[in-house]
Amino acid sequence: MKRALDSVMDAIDIETYLVCADPLEGKKLAMQLGTELNLGEIDIMYEEFDGYGMRVRLRKYIYKPGNNYLYLENIAPEKEGDL
Amino acid sequence: MKKILCVPFDPVHDVGIKIIKAELDKYGHDTKLLSPDLTPEAIVKIAASDKFDFILVSRTLGYGVAELLARFVDLLDAAGVRETSKIVIGGKPITPELAAELGFDKGFGANSSMEEIVAYIEGREITLSGQGLNRTKKDIASKYDYSFNNLEIEALLGSIADKLIDWAKTKSSPGIQRAVIREKIFNATDQTEKDSLLKEYYALCDTEIINANTRGKFIKGVRKVTGKELENLANFIKHRKPVDPVKIQHADNHPLVFKFLGSGCPIMDITHAKVCERYGIDGFLVINPSWEARFEGLIEGCLTHENDGTITSFDNIKLLRDSLDSSTLLTVRAHRGLNTPETILLAGLAGADLAKINLVYGSLGAGTDPVRLAVDGLYAIQLAARFNMPFDIPGNDELSGVPAWKSLAGLLINVMIGKKLGAKPILKPLFCYGPHIVINGLMKQNYIDYNTAKILALRSIVNSPIWPGEPIAFMTQSEERVQSANANSYHAALAAGLGVDVITVASTDEAYSRGPICVTSRIDTIRAITDAYKFVGNASFKPTPRAEEFTKMLIDKITEVLTAVEARDNLPGAIYDGLLGNQEDGAYPGTFGAGTVN
Repeated sequence: MKRALDSVMDAIDIETYLVCADPLEGKKLAMQLGTELNLGEIDIMYEEFDGYGMRVRLRKYIYKPGNNYLYLENIAPEKEGDL
Repeated sequence: MKKILCVPFDPVHDVGIKIIKAELDKYGHDTKLLSPDLTPEAIVKIAASDKFDFILVSRTLGYGVAELLARFVDLLDAAGVRETSKIVIGGKPITPELAAELGFDKGFGANSSMEEIVAYIEGREITLSGQGLNRTKKDIASKYDYSFNNLEIEALLGSIADKLIDWAKTKSSPGIQRAVIREKIFNATDQTEKDSLLKEYYALCDTEIINANTRGKFIKGVRKVTGKELENLANFIKHRKPVDPVKIQHADNHPLVFKFLGSGCPIMDITHAKVCERYGIDGFLVINPSWEARFEGLIEGCLTHENDGTITSFDNIKLLRDSLDSSTLLTVRAHRGLNTPETILLAGLAGADLAKINLVYGSLGAGTDPVRLAVDGLYAIQLAARFNMPFDIPGNDELSGVPAWKSLAGLLINVMIGKKLGAKPILKPLFCYGPHIVINGLMKQNYIDYNTAKILALRSIVNSPIWPGEPIAFMTQSEERVQSANANSYHAALAAGLGVDVITVASTDEAYSRGPICVTSRIDTIRAITDAYKFVGNASFKPTPRAEEFTKMLIDKITEVLTAVEARDNLPGAIYDGLLGNQEDGAYPGTFGAGTVN
């Protein structure tokens, strides 16, 4: 069975609000979130602390330019029903 | 003609079904619209009283609504309505699966088009556009004659261009020579002749390029795209069945919308481009890697690169061109570095539609020696004319800190050169919050006046296509997604109101510099701009009287700059002297290729 992650065209962005005491904790939690979601190391694209928590935009690249894009494999007419 | 009962199964929201009824009426169907306050039992009674082909039910979903709809379907079944009528539901959150689950024959949701609904009613196959985008390729320059309204500026530009063309007449460069040889290689039919020409070509190349082309020893991060990868890409394009494309432009005269490509990998570029085409993007600009500018010569083949910038090669450009819809425009950046003539040649041979050349910005903000780029650029513009490719002239020197009037003066010089060489130039003033603007508080009151003034100033000078970029909203965007999409959409709406021809737009991750642009971020801004175009429609923003003051100031200052440039012997001399941007502004004449003109 094919993995959904392999079908991501390039990256996964996560936007959420992390309740935290300060920006430092917010950043730590953001990085931790990547690990807890089994995404490994993720980038913090954007963060905004407002006193109660931090609004974040996080990104995990699944494919970078020049990688072997698994979502392009096995796209053929006879396979279409399986996709 | 079908007999249709339109049921607003909602006490409040009956707009959707009214619109559908009006459309179905236009197609000649016999429709009956019920009032929104009827009970399910009353509706079923009416449905059963006549033989309707379709019962169209409109309903937004909320708590308990699904049960209500399922019960309604049961009532219709019990009354025998289903024996004669198909029961259809429509509403924003409706999906085909949900419709089936609730017992309806068909469901239409937020993304359903009127064409789909009508096709279903009329029993036709729902039209998916397949590979086509149902549009024709636009000729951006066709309605412009490059006549000048400002005769003083026309005379100055005429003199600057004549002097430059005359100065360059007896000059050549390794870049020009390679383009000449490359064309011969392209046309050669005999392998011995090709080999001999290749030797001549390599004699004019840097070692890194020779090593890559003859020994497969590529610059770090570069590799050839494999046959399997190309085959996979071809299958992706051929065997997917895309849905009908979105149209970004709400009015016919709204600007075309371009996006950048240049992830480094042509396969990634193309997969992104195919998605963007479906969201209505009209064209793409291919950006090459910055290291390419430093080397004499280009690497051949279909190549991928792990970092920013897609490598300029005939095969890469051709792959892009052939993979895009025939209606989608493609422009190739050529003015950076030492391969400007050859890039234009390859772009022309590979079927690109436009090329990006600015003799001034290429020398000031992009690193090429002014003498070299002047000589190469003139040849390149002639090639562009030969291939009937308009060339777009980006004013991105403003991002270095050059004041708008110097940047615009540079664009106009390129326009006059292009005009004299029989090419079709396109002005690309920046729609941005550049450093000079920030320092001098020119956009403190609003972002409308100064951007508007640039367009009005250019329009008062010459009848040329105008394409704000590059991209619009530069330096007004953050990494925050909503803000970034908004910034793009406001600038797009302003551009639409000003009646420009094209805009280049960013993505909502443009300000994020630690990785490649992603397809969802590309879609973000396209969606935002589609809404912005709809919002502005055929209206426009009203600038304050300051826009008029800015316009006059820009025209006066452009005239001053051109007067100073015209007083010099030639354009490269004026660039070295900082007349079109100096060190104080943040602009430095480039050094790549210095001393190579012969």
